[in-house]
Amino acid sequence: MLQHFDPNKDYGTPAVQSDIQVTLEIDGIEISVPEGTSVLRAAALANINIPKLCATDNLEAFGSCRLCTVHIEGRRGAPASCTTPAEQGMRVSTQNDKLAKLRRNIMELYISDHPLDCLTCPANGDCELQDMAGAVGLREVRYGFDGHNHLDAPKDTSNPYFTFDASKCIVCSRCVRACEEVQGTFALTIDGRGFDSKVVAGQDESFFDSDCVSCGACVQACPTATLSENAIITLGQPEHSVVTTCAYCGVGCSFRAEMKGDQLVRMVPHKGGDANHGHSCVKGRFAFGYATHKDRIKAPMIRDSIDQPWREVSWEAAMAFAADRLTSIQKEYGRESIGGITSSRCTNEETYLVQKLIRTAFGNNNTDTCARVCHSPTGYGLKQTLGESAGTQTFDSVMKSDCVLVIGANPTDAHPVFGSLMRRRLREGASLIVADPRQIDLLKTPHLGASLHLPLRPGTNVAMINALAHVVITEGLEDTDFIAQRCDASAYLRWRDFIKQSCHAPEVVEGITGVPAADIREAARTFAKVPNAAIYYGLGVTEHSQGSTMVMGIANLALVTGNIGREGVGVNPLRGQNNVQGSCDMGSFPHELPGYQHVSDPIARGRFEAVWGVTLDDEPGLRIPNMFDAAIAGQFRALYVQGEDIAQSDPNTQHVEEALRSLDCLIVQDIFLNETAKFAHVLLPGSTFLEKNGTFTNAERRINRVRKVMPPVAGKEDWQVTMALSNALGYAMHYDHPSQIMDEIAQLAPSFAGVSYDKLELQGSLQWPCNDEFPDGSPIMHETHFPTPHGKGQFAITEFVPTTERATRRFPLLLTTGRILSQYNVGAQTRRTDNQRWHQEDVLELHPHDAEERGVKEGDWLGISSRAGRTVLRALISERMQPGVVYTTFHHPGSGANVITTNNSDWATNCPEYKVTAVQVEKVSQPSEWQQGFEANHGRQQRFLLDATDSVAKDNYASK
Amino acid sequence: MHQSEEEHLIDMINHIAMNNLSVGDELAVAQMIEGHIRKFWPRRMKALLCDYIARDGSELHPAALLAGTRLSEKGA
Repeated sequence: MLQHFDPNKDYGTPAVQSDIQVTLEIDGIEISVPEGTSVLRAAALANINIPKLCATDNLEAFGSCRLCTVHIEGRRGAPASCTTPAEQGMRVSTQNDKLAKLRRNIMELYISDHPLDCLTCPANGDCELQDMAGAVGLREVRYGFDGHNHLDAPKDTSNPYFTFDASKCIVCSRCVRACEEVQGTFALTIDGRGFDSKVVAGQDESFFDSDCVSCGACVQACPTATLSENAIITLGQPEHSVVTTCAYCGVGCSFRAEMKGDQLVRMVPHKGGDANHGHSCVKGRFAFGYATHKDRIKAPMIRDSIDQPWREVSWEAAMAFAADRLTSIQKEYGRESIGGITSSRCTNEETYLVQKLIRTAFGNNNTDTCARVCHSPTGYGLKQTLGESAGTQTFDSVMKSDCVLVIGANPTDAHPVFGSLMRRRLREGASLIVADPRQIDLLKTPHLGASLHLPLRPGTNVAMINALAHVVITEGLEDTDFIAQRCDASAYLRWRDFIKQSCHAPEVVEGITGVPAADIREAARTFAKVPNAAIYYGLGVTEHSQGSTMVMGIANLALVTGNIGREGVGVNPLRGQNNVQGSCDMGSFPHELPGYQHVSDPIARGRFEAVWGVTLDDEPGLRIPNMFDAAIAGQFRALYVQGEDIAQSDPNTQHVEEALRSLDCLIVQDIFLNETAKFAHVLLPGSTFLEKNGTFTNAERRINRVRKVMPPVAGKEDWQVTMALSNALGYAMHYDHPSQIMDEIAQLAPSFAGVSYDKLELQGSLQWPCNDEFPDGSPIMHETHFPTPHGKGQFAITEFVPTTERATRRFPLLLTTGRILSQYNVGAQTRRTDNQRWHQEDVLELHPHDAEERGVKEGDWLGISSRAGRTVLRALISERMQPGVVYTTFHHPGSGANVITTNNSDWATNCPEYKVTAVQVEKVSQPSEWQQGFEANHGRQQRFLLDATDSVAKDNYASK
Repeated sequence: MHQSEEEHLIDMINHIAMNNLSVGDELAVAQMIEGHIRKFWPRRMKALLCDYIARDGSELHPAALLAGTRLSEKGA
């Protein structure tokens, strides 16, 4: 990998950016470093490793252990090299008798109050204290071990993933500083003074009960065994590691999967990861146990109807069964009677193959992806305005932002590692504007500077964004140079006339959004006046009846203020799942071939036809909701779903279930018997990200390698399963490795033309477009022109049209749904880990006023009814909500959160309006009818699965 | 809240119309809708729309009706 530094080495203090270089001499070696670099880091860069304990290169220098003292010519004493900046002409000695004695004395003091149990200590083999004792040549502890000490300090085992053993703490503060500087939670402090100093979580609580979010930064920072992963305590030190990419959210963190043979011991965030720079969250760091959970599907299974038990069969038999059914259905009902859904959790290569299978072997364009229900409006809206269906920045770009506008996103929960980076920038002084119905945690960032919350009513985003743009235009805050040089003039003039209208004035819009006009004006002024303003948005933007309009409104605001095309600015969609960007890039949508090339474009289609050897349909295929409608109408009869749980994640569950029940053949490829699989006829075992090779593309268009660290439980990686199905259907596919699939993608998708596995190995990661024009990729997009017909940004008219889903006398509250830190999406993975301890059930959050009006107390069972259905959840009374708005998550299938969401969707893309459902809430005493049915069917389908496993076990026994 | 495929389709095209009224007069809006449908709707839904217009069409927004009629005339 091409690295300017070794990511596995600790350089002691962080890198410093400076245009000025200073040259100094350390132990006779001359070295030049950026001005501001510490002597400790300069020495490390020259491969001179000064002993250290309290210093590590992802934390600012602290200077407490004094182990890194050095001699500097012309200076008195022995300064700590971690806190001493390198200077021009400085001459440093890192070793002499005096320094050696000093360091030994320090270590002697440390060790006099440290257990001497190295051989049985979990950190044995990975302990900096042990290493330093060796480095300084410690041979005796003159003070003895009988004095007052901390050797009996208690262990805190409250966290399911790591243990805090206070007896081993040297109070170096690395954990405290990691919690502050890296994670930004400030959950840890040093309590007491002198000998009584100790690390405390929260208000002297257990780790589990404190504000700790279990990101693992403290465990990573600890130089001793004080904070140790429980896996290390149980299993011991790993013997090799493989760098790979997390399969949770769209941040796409790089991790070292640390292994013993094919057993995963721990996931350690990789310092060389371009998206995360060595940080992690509780999901990526710890919640990988699902990969080896007993519920994994380990063999292909088939059944004739969903009322029958499963039968385990060979891969060949399963493929023959599936192919026979698909072929028969097409023969009877026509070529367009079948389709498939690609996964935003699988790799680019796997997604590419599924859509290829559909367009070639199925012979139609009935392919869609779960991006349909999350970020399809991003694809539409950004293509219309900026010319490309993707975010414009790197994550690191936020560190140059002076104002951060967050709309309908909750980064600290849904994109935690980026949330921490954003918090770091906010602590440095960038101002924060949050447009969200809820008071999200970002607003409670410790040491936050100027901030403004615009708590708008659900469903009024477009009115809000128009009002912000109205203020920019009517107060003369637009960037006239940028508009003149970079934007289409006629589109701008049309939009300018539109947005100037008084109906968009904050004073008028206040009645729609509920946000005081003065706050909107202040937000617009702040955003427009700072040098660099950036917009970050999430599903609170897209999952609305006007999701696409809102995305275009966001692009308008960025264009009119000139906040596109450089670091610190931009339009940044925060993608929900690990490969939402990639699944869209890979041609999962029914109207687009890979690389966003429309199926009606004869030139593009011709290139695909030449490589794929078939004639392709030139008409768009069915979207997911269209598939459901057509299935209920009896015209759509078979569906292949890879790694997506539509029965739980899609809106109006009862409608989805009716559609799935209508199918003659449902093929589900997944790692578990998910909710969709309960309606399936063929169940194909999927592989986790640990069991395959490939690539994911994160929210910043960064293509990262996924590397196999253990064999797939059922013998096939997901791309191999799709290939086998295609071959069974008579369309030949043959790849020996996903790198060959990527080569084909590069051949056909212009923005991927320069991507290859060899280049990824060399560069570490690549941000598309990566081609002849941008051979090393494109960290920042649209720097000089937009990929639009004339290279100009296009303003779009964004009329506010209220959703039809409104609060009424019958349904007086508005429900909005979302996610939380510890669980991920439908929860299939995280529910099968100890993350379950933080969120064992979905609850309904409601404002105290709404609770009081209904006589609701915390923990009461509440029936939530909408025009789509009814479900029952426990009450959580919370001031984070505004009166009239209630909130829940959808991480547990039995909650039935989507039983109450409706068929309403975005006008352009059919992305469901999850964020606005009119509901009524009342106290009840039993689960809803749907929930009772769910429990009954769950039990029955589990028995069907167990029966299959049992029958195979008996068969195997009988054959011996 | 069961909706037939046709009812859903009518809702969808009317929704497109309502969100694009500022494009211009009825013809301009209809042209926008027609372009959108050609670009994003599958063959099956275009055919259902044309069938509905031939049979009834009364539930459609005027611009949506015009867009559908133009689709029918030119061939969906």
